[in-house]
Amino acid sequence: MSGPQTDGELYFEDFAVGEVYEHARGKTVTDVDGVLLCNLAMNTASGHFDEESMKDTPFGERIVFGGITAALVIGLTMQDTAEHAVRELTLDRLRFPSPVFHGDTLYAFTQVVSTDDADEDEKGAGVVGLRHWGVNQRDQIVFEAERTVLVKRRPA
Amino acid sequence: MNVTTLRKQARRRERVHYFEDFPEGRRFEHHWGRTLTEADNTLLSTLTLAYNPVYFNREKALAAGHADTVINPMLVLMVAVGLSVEDLSESGGAFLGIDGLTFHRPVMVGETLTAASTVVSARRSGSRPGMGVVTWHTQGRIGEGPVVDFRRTNLIKSREAR
Repeated sequence: MSGPQTDGELYFEDFAVGEVYEHARGKTVTDVDGVLLCNLAMNTASGHFDEESMKDTPFGERIVFGGITAALVIGLTMQDTAEHAVRELTLDRLRFPSPVFHGDTLYAFTQVVSTDDADEDEKGAGVVGLRHWGVNQRDQIVFEAERTVLVKRRPA
Repeated sequence: MNVTTLRKQARRRERVHYFEDFPEGRRFEHHWGRTLTEADNTLLSTLTLAYNPVYFNREKALAAGHADTVINPMLVLMVAVGLSVEDLSESGGAFLGIDGLTFHRPVMVGETLTAASTVVSARRSGSRPGMGVVTWHTQGRIGEGPVVDFRRTNLIKSREAR
């Protein structure tokens, strides 16, 4: 099923349960992205920024911090899922089935799994439940997650 | 001193905990803390193509009712994890996942995040000798108030396998 990426802006009413989006943009994760964001987040695990420390491992090279994989895949979905978000609510079942290396290109897919009314004090918004997949250039799944977002209702 | 002598004389300052260091219930107050700046937020949001304007357009954030530009929640998550790595997972081992994460409130530019974790469970891996599977509950806080919390699970080396 094709995505709504060129269909304009998405408000709560525009999310249909079951629909699957392929997001328009992918991104090659360079070592600038990987090392900069890992160090910026103060993740001290050398395997993300010390190439020599990984030479004798099965990976043979640095791997990208999973937090970056998560942020990038969710980032790639953001214009189609949260351009009108009031706020992010929850994440669950984040999984990293394959490692990401510098030079890999990631793409994002989303399925709408639920649309619910928000609490009484959020009358102008609703809760959208989403499932995300991050896929690399070899068609391996590198990331999966479930997410809920409070999204504005379409202005009257 | 030449490098050979240096290596012989130096005591390696390890910054690692192993599986045995994670009895259920042990608590870690992670040191450092991190003020989340406009620069961090703009970099993370633009490098990950996270196009919700409240993360990089202060006027839109104010118009949406926020006190300042909103910190991208994925940055809050990344820094909360980052601050915990030295205490929890620096020994290296697969990042198995995050579960049950809640963003409690939007975080604003200039707020300072600290993190603390408690060991939820720790068991020896059946399939990987010398490794264990450890789950921690981590909370990211501004002052005393939680802004994010989640359970993180990693494969962790045991001391005999290092």
